[in-house]
Amino acid sequence: MATEVTAVYDIRRRYEEARSGGMRSEVAWVAWRSLKKLTRNPFLIFFSLFMPLVWLLMFSQTFGTMFSRGAMTRGVPLPYDFVAVMLPGVAIMTAIQSASQSGFGMVADIDSGFMDKFFVAPIRRTSVLLGKMLADGTRMAVQSSIVLFIAWVMTFVAGWRIPFATGFFGAVLIVLLATGFGIAFSGLSNMVALRSKSTETTMMVSFTLTFPLQFLSTALIPRDLLPPWVQIFSSLNPVSYLADAARSLIVTGYDWPVIGKACLAIVVFGVVLQGLALQAFNAQGK
Amino acid sequence: MRQTETQTQAIIDVRDLVKVYPGRGPGTQEPVRAVDGVTFSVAGGEFFGFLGPNGAGKSTSIKIITTLLAKTSGVVTLCGRDIEREAEAVRRLIGYAGQSIGVDGELTGRENLTLVGHLYHLPAALVKERVAELLAVLQLEEAADRPAYTYSGGMRRRLDLGSGLIHRPRVLFLDEPTTGLDPQTRNAVWEYLRKLHSEEAMTIFLTTQYMEEADQLCQRLAIIDRGKIVAEGSPTALKAEIGADVVTIRIARDEAFETNRSRALTIAQKVPNVRRAQSFEEGVSVHAVNGGETLLQIVRVLDAEKINIQQLALSHPTLDEVFLQHTGRQMRVEEEKPASRGGPWRRGMRRN
Repeated sequence: MATEVTAVYDIRRRYEEARSGGMRSEVAWVAWRSLKKLTRNPFLIFFSLFMPLVWLLMFSQTFGTMFSRGAMTRGVPLPYDFVAVMLPGVAIMTAIQSASQSGFGMVADIDSGFMDKFFVAPIRRTSVLLGKMLADGTRMAVQSSIVLFIAWVMTFVAGWRIPFATGFFGAVLIVLLATGFGIAFSGLSNMVALRSKSTETTMMVSFTLTFPLQFLSTALIPRDLLPPWVQIFSSLNPVSYLADAARSLIVTGYDWPVIGKACLAIVVFGVVLQGLALQAFNAQGK
Repeated sequence: MRQTETQTQAIIDVRDLVKVYPGRGPGTQEPVRAVDGVTFSVAGGEFFGFLGPNGAGKSTSIKIITTLLAKTSGVVTLCGRDIEREAEAVRRLIGYAGQSIGVDGELTGRENLTLVGHLYHLPAALVKERVAELLAVLQLEEAADRPAYTYSGGMRRRLDLGSGLIHRPRVLFLDEPTTGLDPQTRNAVWEYLRKLHSEEAMTIFLTTQYMEEADQLCQRLAIIDRGKIVAEGSPTALKAEIGADVVTIRIARDEAFETNRSRALTIAQKVPNVRRAQSFEEGVSVHAVNGGETLLQIVRVLDAEKINIQQLALSHPTLDEVFLQHTGRQMRVEEEKPASRGGPWRRGMRRN
């Protein structure tokens, strides 16, 4: 009996002293779980791709006519279609949409008690947030890539005139910008989710803030075509900086000062919103 | 050496634990003292339990000890380590299975366990080995690669238990481990917990609102009510304190109920052999040395006094009587039925 008990202690010690994988592994496993969930949910995958495609087709068809008739370009015909102007905006809006839903999973995990599994394990709380960002980021990158890819295919299939001025690497840069901004913006949804612990509240706050951010920006329409008050608002709106940078990559070429501003917008927005989310996360159980 | 050390030392040591929830929102402005100065300790290898009604402070206490919730004041150590200053070390030593089953329904059973195994920094090979072992022990092998949302309540409970055991903790914390389970599944869980305790020398701390569960499983238990420990000891010792048979007289619920109850109490106190008589919500509870005889005597007097009796019962003391003796109320078990939430005995103190 005594030896058996000693054997139990020996086995137990092997487990207690295990320190396999540091913070990087913690983050990776949290992300693995979120992504695994995503692949298990075909409806979610379908609809998270469906919405940006609807925008791409709907906006390009409705506004496209106005654009091609010169109504939106003050009579000067341009060598590309309206879809080239709004494509970068749609790529970014796709990421923003995903980001605005990020908090829902947080509420679900708190409600189900799954979050306690993370909190009772010997991992850093930051790992849980970073893992979630990594998973969200992967999803956003895939979504915005698909938007760009389909637009590219449409240049052959439907004769869309999109210059893709910076080619493949420019497209990669757009995906990175969209993903970076999406990750930064997801802090808002997570912060609201953690403070309110309610899906309804998170949805309301996200939607009410997401729409003006998207439409009172240069995401779909260039700055000089916006009404003056919207111009003022849009110059304060980080989405505009992202849209301007992405648009230059499609229409004109590498405009580094504009891209730099977009990166700055990501960093400032990200530090503030994710900082608030981290604060709310650390306040759990207090 | 190690063995004697862990078995003699208190593994869980709680001193003057207090948790005050600030009043939030309309109607609950008053701060709530969910845990109000709780002190106890649990020795290595012990099967210890918190028995109490909903809202007594069981969940709050267990969440504080498992580092899930911050305390207001008091000192809590686990294996000699402070739960706040050495939280990470403490987390490696404990396993926790909560009241709400923390299983991810979209992941399979195997994936759920694998994820948690890696969160404890176990090497991949060890995770694989341990997951297979647990799936076998918990009889989840066949369902291992099915999403957990297809599992029955009992299977989910077992899976959740498994994720609390993945790292072979020294102490296992279980918050109402059989609430919402059918009797058969409940027995199976009890069986498994007994096995864990005896074969793996595991210290187990559970909370429960079921008298029978506490009686069957716990070597020692603390009865907790309104945030305070009102009695502590082994189930046998607690019941022996009563030292007599129990006669329960339920008075008919008519307009004279209140008067009849106090009259019955006065009468019962005068009957010889009665050690103690006490009234509760439904009538009077009497502890008597020779229960059968006393029962007859009481009935005769009550009948002569024309007090309407609804029901009479004679029993050996159970933890019900222990609870009643210490709190003046009967402990009622509320099954998990959302519609019945907010009964008078809950006092709105439950926090999950």
